[in-house]
Amino acid sequence: MTKAGDWQSYRRVLLPPVKDLHHLDVYRAQGGYEALRTVLNDWKPEEVTAEVKRSGLRGRGGAGFPTGLKWSFMPPVKPDVPRYLCCNADESEPGTFKDRQLMEYNPHLLFEGILIAGYAMSLKACYLYVRGEFSSWITLLQNELSKVYDAKLAGSNILGTDYSMDIIMHKGAGAYICGEETSLMESLEGKRAYPRIKPPFPAQSGIWGYPTTINNVETLACAPIIIDRGGDWFAGVGAKKHPGPVLYGISGHVNRPGVYEYPTGMLITDLLEIAGGMRDNKKLKALVPGGASVPVLRADMIDGVTMDVESLHEAGSMMGTAGMLFLDEDTDMVAFLRRVARFYHHESCGQCTPCREGTGWMENLITRIDDGEGNLRDLDLLLDLCDQMEGRTVCALADAAAWPVRNTIKRFRGDFERRCRPSAWAVNT
Amino acid sequence: MADFIRNPVVALPDSNPEAHFSEEELVFTPEEKAKIVDYVAQYPTPDGAVMWVLWLAQEKFGFLPPEVMRLVATELSLPYAQVYGVATFYTQFFKEKKGTFVLDVCTCFSCQFCGGYDTLAYLEEKLGVKRGHTTPCGRYTLQEAECLGACGSAPMMQVSNGPYAYNLTPEKIDALLAAMEAGKPLPFVSVTLPQDEDEMGGNRRTDAEAVEHYVVPPQAKRTQ
Repeated sequence: MTKAGDWQSYRRVLLPPVKDLHHLDVYRAQGGYEALRTVLNDWKPEEVTAEVKRSGLRGRGGAGFPTGLKWSFMPPVKPDVPRYLCCNADESEPGTFKDRQLMEYNPHLLFEGILIAGYAMSLKACYLYVRGEFSSWITLLQNELSKVYDAKLAGSNILGTDYSMDIIMHKGAGAYICGEETSLMESLEGKRAYPRIKPPFPAQSGIWGYPTTINNVETLACAPIIIDRGGDWFAGVGAKKHPGPVLYGISGHVNRPGVYEYPTGMLITDLLEIAGGMRDNKKLKALVPGGASVPVLRADMIDGVTMDVESLHEAGSMMGTAGMLFLDEDTDMVAFLRRVARFYHHESCGQCTPCREGTGWMENLITRIDDGEGNLRDLDLLLDLCDQMEGRTVCALADAAAWPVRNTIKRFRGDFERRCRPSAWAVNT
Repeated sequence: MADFIRNPVVALPDSNPEAHFSEEELVFTPEEKAKIVDYVAQYPTPDGAVMWVLWLAQEKFGFLPPEVMRLVATELSLPYAQVYGVATFYTQFFKEKKGTFVLDVCTCFSCQFCGGYDTLAYLEEKLGVKRGHTTPCGRYTLQEAECLGACGSAPMMQVSNGPYAYNLTPEKIDALLAAMEAGKPLPFVSVTLPQDEDEMGGNRRTDAEAVEHYVVPPQAKRTQ
């Protein structure tokens, strides 16, 4: 028995098998917005937060911070100070494509989650920040949102109670950095999306200086489920320290890529089997378990590893966004790392020097190795560069750029050394 | 005087750029102005609406030369420098004229190893331009994009900041280009979840215009 329990008979809750669930009437016929009604009528705001705390829900956007705890950071309500929620739908981590599918197939679960979170923290409005590339999905969400407003499920006096909250769509325009919470706030304020220094944390001073909470799409979509089925039910799904249903976005060299919903704590080997195994019966070479910024795992490191914070940490990686990329034995890890470095070079916002310059140097050095003109000493230089970048910038983009470089070189050193020219100089590592 | 002082190395945004639009063209219609008022009302300060208005301006003018940014700044009563700063920060705001169709081919790592660069190379050959350039006829701009968030359907591309095209093959690309030539709007494609296929026998949306399935990704021949 794995941590995920009896996953073979798991019934999906985030994306339940119902035709046309994205229509408001279908969603309501399935008991949708009932959790919101219960909460508005019978619960106190702090009871909602307590229930989410009890569920053990952790953020699904990458960092895995406990959601209930995050909600409880909001300062006490003051009558003349508006409070905001930002829903982070700026899904641009390479290898991640779950939020887009959730927004397409079950947008009302997201809206209901937003409204429940809003009630729990007594918020005035929620900004739904969707990345600009998802323009088709923005139209879809806007259509459904107008129906939500028509049905008096959002706006003023929701469901006849005295609680009012707005949901406002915001369209990004193609910047990976906007997925970082402070940067998202700057972008909302109509500025260049440069991350802010923390503290002050968003709960103290967020958009326009008002208390703000920022949650990922999938995290907020879990809120109605927690209310509906109870925090204890949620805490009993999947791994104990990281419970709940998760959308695994599986891509790469597998027979059946796609978004799968299963509990946390699934064995990686089980997930690979669910996704149809490796393409052309090739062997697995490497796995990126949660988007580009988490350390890559070698095939021999995944035995018995499950998809939850604890187990992946022990294995030397992170859960990230659960966007899993499987790579087969023919994969050129130098080319892989070159593309990752290129991505971070392109997406560095340019605010902090170690990141702006460092990511560029990383790309140049790895390109040189990929072109067969690198020296062995370049590998040491790259690792040294990682040391100079990590923890020396305002946001975590520099760390996210340094981790894959450090770990790919460490775990696939042979691949890199074979591509380098032999060195007459002593090599340290 | 040193040469670089007389001829600045960097072209400054204010150094009298050649205008692409005349004074008469540079106006928002009353409907657009009403839209802008709606956008502004959604935020505590007009600053928040900058991105929406830039999107509106880009839809109207096709791209954002300095005079359009100035128009947006005047409309929102913001400093030109702030609008310029925002417009130049985001990759989807076009600062120079693009083709009628902008083809953004994703080459980030999932696509890289599942034929993203092969798609790009095929399009380069087919259209006769290198990535980052526009065809001489002005119809197509070919670009290499960072992750577009459709990693399970690699290789894929986005057309003119709008619809996605998934699981590309040479035949599919030819068909897409033919549809664009014929002026047909590209449909919104819904990708079926693998679990839906098993439990519901197909896509859950009965109103989807076009449906696509997750398929085995192709073997990449090129990785850069």
